[in-house]
Amino acid sequence: MTQTESSNEVMIELDELTKHFPGQANPAVDKLSLTVKKGEIVVFVGPSGCGKTTSMELVNRLIEPTSGRIILEGEDVTNSDPDELRRRIGYVIQETGLLPHRTIAHNIATVPKLVGWDKQRISERVDELLTMVGMDPDVYRNRYPKELSGGQRQRVGVARAMAADPPLMLMDEPFGAIDPITRERLQNEFLRLQAQIQKTIIFVTHDIDEAIKMGDRIVVLRDQSHIAQFDTPEAILTNPADDYVADFIGSGASLKRLNLSRIRDIEMATDAPIGRMDEPADELARRLDASEWSAILLLDDRKRPTRWVNAQDLRRPGFDPTTMGLKARAVVEPHATLSDALNELISSNGGCAIVADGDGAYLGVVDLETIMAAVRAMREQHARFYLAAKNPDTVEV
Amino acid sequence: MATDTATEHPEETIGAQTGTPVKIETSSTHRSLIGWFGMPVFLILILGATYIWIQGRELDSIEQRVLNQRVLTEKLVEHLQLVAVSTAIVIAIAIPLGVILTRPFARRAVPITLAIANGGQAIPSLGLITIVVIWMGIGFTPVIIGLVAYSALPILRNTMVGLQQVDHSFIKASRGMGLSPMQVLMQVELPLAIPVMIAGIRTALVINVGTATLATFFGAGGLGFVIFQGIGLNRDPVLITGVVMASGLALLVDYLAGVAGHFLSPRGL
Amino acid sequence: MTFSEYLSNSYENLIELSLEHLQLVAITMLIATAVGVPLGILAHRSSVLRPPIMSTTSFFLTIPSLALFAIFIPVFGLGSPPAIVALTLYALLPIVGNTVAGLSSVSPAIVKASRGMGMGSWRRLGLVELPLAWPVIVTGLRVSTQVTIGIAAIAVFVGGPGLGNEIFRGIRSLGNPGAENLVYGGTLAIVVIALAFDGAFVLVRRFTTPRGIR
Ligand SMILES: Nc1ncnc2c1ncn2[C@@H]1O[C@H](COP(=O)(O)OP(=O)(O)O)[C@@H](O)[C@H]1O
Ligand SMILES: [Mg+2]
Repeated sequence: MTQTESSNEVMIELDELTKHFPGQANPAVDKLSLTVKKGEIVVFVGPSGCGKTTSMELVNRLIEPTSGRIILEGEDVTNSDPDELRRRIGYVIQETGLLPHRTIAHNIATVPKLVGWDKQRISERVDELLTMVGMDPDVYRNRYPKELSGGQRQRVGVARAMAADPPLMLMDEPFGAIDPITRERLQNEFLRLQAQIQKTIIFVTHDIDEAIKMGDRIVVLRDQSHIAQFDTPEAILTNPADDYVADFIGSGASLKRLNLSRIRDIEMATDAPIGRMDEPADELARRLDASEWSAILLLDDRKRPTRWVNAQDLRRPGFDPTTMGLKARAVVEPHATLSDALNELISSNGGCAIVADGDGAYLGVVDLETIMAAVRAMREQHARFYLAAKNPDTVEV
Repeated sequence: MATDTATEHPEETIGAQTGTPVKIETSSTHRSLIGWFGMPVFLILILGATYIWIQGRELDSIEQRVLNQRVLTEKLVEHLQLVAVSTAIVIAIAIPLGVILTRPFARRAVPITLAIANGGQAIPSLGLITIVVIWMGIGFTPVIIGLVAYSALPILRNTMVGLQQVDHSFIKASRGMGLSPMQVLMQVELPLAIPVMIAGIRTALVINVGTATLATFFGAGGLGFVIFQGIGLNRDPVLITGVVMASGLALLVDYLAGVAGHFLSPRGL
Repeated sequence: MTFSEYLSNSYENLIELSLEHLQLVAITMLIATAVGVPLGILAHRSSVLRPPIMSTTSFFLTIPSLALFAIFIPVFGLGSPPAIVALTLYALLPIVGNTVAGLSSVSPAIVKASRGMGMGSWRRLGLVELPLAWPVIVTGLRVSTQVTIGIAAIAVFVGGPGLGNEIFRGIRSLGNPGAENLVYGGTLAIVVIALAFDGAFVLVRRFTTPRGIR
């Protein structure tokens, strides 16, 4: 996780923040106190109606608190000009709220315009942001929101929130209305982006799996935004504070733990035989024989995996590397979780997943054994952790 | 909008949904040829046919007194003035009122205002204008006041509906980015309400063209004069000329307002 | 003469004119409903016929009411007939429009389900689509009636019956004592009729709407 990257400096502190809507018996948010450090993603997770949205909107004062204080970068902003405050905080919502009568560029430019950037700077920033969220500026700049897919709109929503480079971003179920496959992709893209930009983010979701995947730290909320547990995903999965948290995590905690390790954190196999498409068949066959593998992976001239071919394919007369063997599937990137890798691995019928970098260049492979080894290591570590928590005297680590 | 996963781009939903029918947009941006040119052609044909028919007749002296260029031009100009002035005033009153009534602080005044406005619709146009004239005497101004009172509701109602139907997420996102309430109104709410508001203005225009035909009874002229002369003198050519001119004007104004609405509505909607 | 003196003097006359007015509106609405609802069904079912039906009916509503009344004088002469024809044409759009809107608002799933149960097109219309569209259609009838009640006052200019006569009598004697009472009386009676109809439609809608969708 990116936890090591977050500093110990405080980005924002909430102090007994309370919201009592008029005419309701109980406060919707009751004395919420917590501290978010610079550069971390803190996820608010809890059942629908527990006050996640209200808590988040108290931070940028879309909802004015009944009592309590908000301290942003050391400054008490509880009573400052709310519009000024909001221009310093990025804001992404599930419905995106992209203005339908404005082009994508115009939408992204909203806050830079408000804070008075010049035209040149704005247009450069728009292009930069679109590129950052994986959309070609030349194609999308002048489109209207209705001309984008839901996933693309959500990307633009993120780009718009980052436009004036706010130190803090609030994201309220940003991927909640997206189909599962696109959501998965957006989550991964966002994590990759976050690794570069190191924003401080408060992220709201009702989905514990999303929380585990996205969060450096997770706040599990119960009714009225009471904090049930505030800790790292590992700690919450391994050592839930009470039955409420345990119930919320639900069954399958060990499978969920696969979401916590990334491929780059474990040892992948680099001994798989590889060859170039243009090498002669007998040369490839010799290399395959020398290895313990049953197939050799062919890479194209940009080192991207193309096909697996076995000894039989290589012996065939008129060997053609572009059609023979099996297409190389199950390609994952190093930041993918073990859960992603396992998924790919199972759904492809080959025995392993190929790891490639962002440009698609081959790095290594991951097979079931690698994953099992990682799981075993994790389990041991957590068992020690668990014992330590129960019985501090036996700490050995 | 964003919640509509059925319209995801295929590149992002490979394998996610199979065979989900994609809704085909049939918006008014693809107006047919008939939609664009039907009305102008129709108007030219009707006006031309009437002109030729009148030209081809021997007009008696009574008919000639009305059916001459000077009188007809004068009545047309009077009618246009009545419509233009009354509509401009209605717009200037009803749009700001509609904006104010949709602000949170005015929420309590909405039911009363709408009740008065709706109740007012039950007053017949003929009675309403006559009552204004009884209070103020005959002439241009009282008739204008009657027209304004009678055509205010569509613009008021459409302004309010247009503003209220703006999806709350747009407002929330804009406020969340730091736009002030005034900026949200000018940059988000009003642009998004424009199509509905223009529809209201269009209705008010048509109402004003129609009601202004009664102005001739109250010393404010207009094309109603020609029609009433036709009825009163029992001369069909006069009557038909008046009918064609008044109807042609109403249809033309309606058509132009529709075209204006098309071009003034923001792209991307 | 005060307004109350006027009322006590000529209430019989006002009631008689009101009955004429009601009769004119009732005849108009009966014809307009009998024509408008089937036209709406037709427009809903045929995408070819929908544009001409909708644009023709909205064409009539765009024409100034006085012009629409007057144009039928050469055909029917003065009196009730041109008034009824013009008012009927005027009343069509809200009825046709709301019939189409009501029928289109019936969920496709319900239509599909009733087709799945083996209902034919006409049975489906009668048993499923019309009952569900009914509240919207009634609203169309209500709007249409309101428009007709007000416009019917103009019928006086083509020699038609109704309360327009009282107002017009006032207009012709404007400046003379008591003229304003005629205008107030005629206008007030029309407002009363309009409000009474509005109330009646609220009740009709309430009691004729199937309970499940009320
Ligand atoms: N504007 C409001 N007025 C009154 N009550 C509200 C308002 N917004 C939220 N609430 C109430 O506050 C509680 C928490 O809502 P919310 O923060 O939206 O929950 P979540 O985002 O966790 O689903 C709910 O009981 C909701 O009904
Ligand atoms: Mg929420």
